[in-house]
Amino acid sequence: MSGPGEDVPRFDRRLFDPSRPVSRIGDGALGGKARGLLTAARVLAARGAELELPGLAIDLPALVVIATGVFDAFLDRNHLRAVLAEEPSDEVVSLAFRRATLPAEWLGDLRAIAVECRRPLAVRSSSALEDALGRPFAGVYGTKMIPGNQPGSDARFRSLTDAVKFVYASTFFHEARAYRRAAGRAAKDEGMAVIAQEVVGLRRGERFYPDLSGVARSYNFYPAGPASPGEGVVQLALGLGKTIVDGGACWSFSPAHPRSAPPFGSVRDLVDSTQSEFWAVNVGPPPPYDPMAETEFLVRAGLAEAEADGALRGAASTYDPRSDRLVPGTSRPGPRVLDFAPILVQGQIPLVDALRRLLAVCADALGAPVEIEFAVCLPPEGRVRLGFLQVRPLLVSEDAVEVSPEELEGARVVVASTAALGNGRQAVEDVVFVEPALFEARLTPAIAGEIESLNRSLVEAGRPYLLIGFGRWGSTDPWLGIPVRWDQIAGARAIVETTFPQMNPEPSQGSHFFHNLSSFQVLYFTVPHLSARAVDWDWLERQEVVARTDHVRHVRAPGPLVLKVDGRTRRGVVLRPEGP
Amino acid sequence: MVTTGVNAYEMAQAQFDKVAAILDLDPATRELLRQPMREYSFSIPVRLDDGRVRFFRGFRVQHNDARGPSKGGIRFHPQETLDTVRALAMWMTWKCAVVDIPLGGGKGGVVCDPHNLSLREQEQICRGWVRQLARNVGPVADVPAPDIMTSGQHMVWMLDEFETIHGGHYPGFITGKPVGIGGSQGRTEATGYGVVFTIREALRELGLEVKATRASVQGFGNVAEHAIRLYTQIGGTVTCVSCWDQTDQAAYTLRKGSGIDLDELLSITDRFGGIDKAKAKPLGYEVLAGDAWLEQPVDILIPAAIENQIRADNAPRIHAKVRILAEGANGPTTPEADAVMQEKGIFVIPDFLANAGGVTCSYFEQVQSNMNYYWDKDEVLAKLDAKMTAAFHAVSELARKRKLFPRDAAYVIAINRVAQACHDRGWV
Repeated sequence: MSGPGEDVPRFDRRLFDPSRPVSRIGDGALGGKARGLLTAARVLAARGAELELPGLAIDLPALVVIATGVFDAFLDRNHLRAVLAEEPSDEVVSLAFRRATLPAEWLGDLRAIAVECRRPLAVRSSSALEDALGRPFAGVYGTKMIPGNQPGSDARFRSLTDAVKFVYASTFFHEARAYRRAAGRAAKDEGMAVIAQEVVGLRRGERFYPDLSGVARSYNFYPAGPASPGEGVVQLALGLGKTIVDGGACWSFSPAHPRSAPPFGSVRDLVDSTQSEFWAVNVGPPPPYDPMAETEFLVRAGLAEAEADGALRGAASTYDPRSDRLVPGTSRPGPRVLDFAPILVQGQIPLVDALRRLLAVCADALGAPVEIEFAVCLPPEGRVRLGFLQVRPLLVSEDAVEVSPEELEGARVVVASTAALGNGRQAVEDVVFVEPALFEARLTPAIAGEIESLNRSLVEAGRPYLLIGFGRWGSTDPWLGIPVRWDQIAGARAIVETTFPQMNPEPSQGSHFFHNLSSFQVLYFTVPHLSARAVDWDWLERQEVVARTDHVRHVRAPGPLVLKVDGRTRRGVVLRPEGP
Repeated sequence: MVTTGVNAYEMAQAQFDKVAAILDLDPATRELLRQPMREYSFSIPVRLDDGRVRFFRGFRVQHNDARGPSKGGIRFHPQETLDTVRALAMWMTWKCAVVDIPLGGGKGGVVCDPHNLSLREQEQICRGWVRQLARNVGPVADVPAPDIMTSGQHMVWMLDEFETIHGGHYPGFITGKPVGIGGSQGRTEATGYGVVFTIREALRELGLEVKATRASVQGFGNVAEHAIRLYTQIGGTVTCVSCWDQTDQAAYTLRKGSGIDLDELLSITDRFGGIDKAKAKPLGYEVLAGDAWLEQPVDILIPAAIENQIRADNAPRIHAKVRILAEGANGPTTPEADAVMQEKGIFVIPDFLANAGGVTCSYFEQVQSNMNYYWDKDEVLAKLDAKMTAAFHAVSELARKRKLFPRDAAYVIAINRVAQACHDRGWV
């Protein structure tokens, strides 16, 4: 639970003040993300010596936290609570917030940031509720990058205040309301702080981005190959971390086995499945004015642009079709593949060592498994900069649940998986499943909408449910799976991802999706369609139909289904009730 | 309008002379700056509603425009004098200079009592005033604004007359216009908010937490209202406010130890800023004598009414707890009372700094009007904060470095800037 923020010094109208890495504007709580950053600052201050490595410097990018008191004053003085009582559309919320005035006493501080800062800033939510509940509301609230490249301080100030209002407005967008409802909380329980933080990166022409961004966890819910859960996992992407948090293609590895590639079927598969586009802050000519779009100042570019920018030095290998091999580096012509081999295999920079140490130090400091976010810049000359962007405890269920191999073969098994995620036991009577006979990959966006409506009525009725579908849940690519947002399935207590002959992606959720799985302790079953024991569709289709949409059916079992996942063995099973 | 027999112009000149000596200004510069560069005095004929014709005396004084077009309000008051207007024009020069906006100082007035004039008659005075001065004022020469007993409506009449004479649209001719007809967002709040921005900075310098402070305010007009609002919003408590009772022709102080409720008091306030005493008592307010506001055990005094309210005779009654005097009004403290402030160790935020938020926002309005492009309120208030905060720290730093009384430090900065502009132009 965050305190009133009294332990953080007031913003002194200087963002880049080495004596104050973290400062605050306004009173009130600082929210979950800001607490994480404060922890990061404390870890660096107390144990920086343990993190020293030749040629690499770890720092906390300059930041200021706009505390929840400013948010409350903004809502109250502009009488926005009355507008919000009607639960208006996102567009109406956006417009009302954009027209409203930020509290006068803090505007001078925001202007000081705009005057001083001529480089990109990330303006992020830092929810008091996520802090209070002890779990991150990952991806629920808005984040906005602003470029800081406008020549006039007035324009920079406008983009900063627009970004702050955008984050405030996102607190009341449909997705956030649904998420809070699923967590059993009302809008009035939420207090929103905002973090304005320097973006770690380098300017390359009209783009500004880090050489790589990453998320590292000291505990791995998805161990693959030789890795074990306790060794942790790291995901890397070129450019801004948005690629990772959105669930885009990125590179995963165990920090204990950095040379082990993810389990791709062939080099060709690997070439096709790795990151081919990246996000950057647009520091070119101003884009069309769209203050309520999260991506207003972002651009997406491909690997050719990154190579022209000189940003593939540490990130890419080159595919050699003659030998069907990847050759680390970009010295020869050929397709580039983002496998980060120059860093992970050749050890160009001591990143893996730095991450191992950082994870260990943070886990020790927090007394729990942790997740950290970071970004790395490889300047043409000088030390590598590792910007430490976030640290938070990971929720790992400690309940002892055992699922024996024999149980997977039992007569009551509806779903059995040897690649389940999470740990624990649940009981539900409702099942929502995508009908196999009606499923086609092209229909996934429509299916997402149908699931949302069923989820809404189940959440309102207070009935948790088991969700079964095809492909990668939460995929941003509708051809790889059903592109649901978390709020659209937030009432599910367990999720089954089954593959389909035409839809057979590697299970790999985006970090926000992943986070919500773990923070809501949702059990996740992966069931290949070719496995010996697939989903018992016949039994499902015999159950009482509660509701039915074009492609999705909601059924109710005559008694509770038992759902169990053994996190250590990754065996999971769904058992139907006793009886016929 | 000098209510205590003090000649404001003589007072302004005395203040100037004192600072000129500190700055060791040369005789020519002193002569130039201790009197106005231009003065206009004229009659305005108006046919009254009853058919009679009456002549009203009008003034405009342009004290100095070395740094930019003259800027200053137009006052309607039965006791207006040319000397008062001269003094106020001079103070405008210093005020614009201390917050470092590119404007000179001016002031205008008409000897009249709007209480006894219909709106049509007031409109005729406004239009007559502009007809007399149309060639001597304007967006690049002299930019008037509302002042005592003039409002946005008066400004719109004046603008309309000016534009009729010159045959075009010149919204930058005048400020204080209503929003929607060339006015600026934030103008209404600007003076009061500016007072609080300087108080906030002074509290930080003194190491005081605003939430632990209390304030007493003289006056309940626009400046007081917005100063009270923002000061309360940032956590302070106003325990006392005084106001003018138009019926009794006397001032009263209302006190509530737990803190006044601004909106509650506004709901029982007449259009002259008089709070209904009878309605205030049941709401828990004590009604005290008019100058009781001065004697309260508070941390901050905010005189936000009229001139010469803190004098040698009543300044000793200021409570020992008071740490800050923030002058929301123009000239509320006499030089003799300043000496008492120094003895008591009170941090004085001088009027032409504390209440410069109004002219700063007027300058923003003029800029917007000249561009015909208008900013949102966030932008206006943020710029206002930046200007006021920077000006406060410049004054405070100089006062600390040279061990000057804050008023003198502010004058030193302002007069030095104006003198430098006159030198640069080759006038002296």
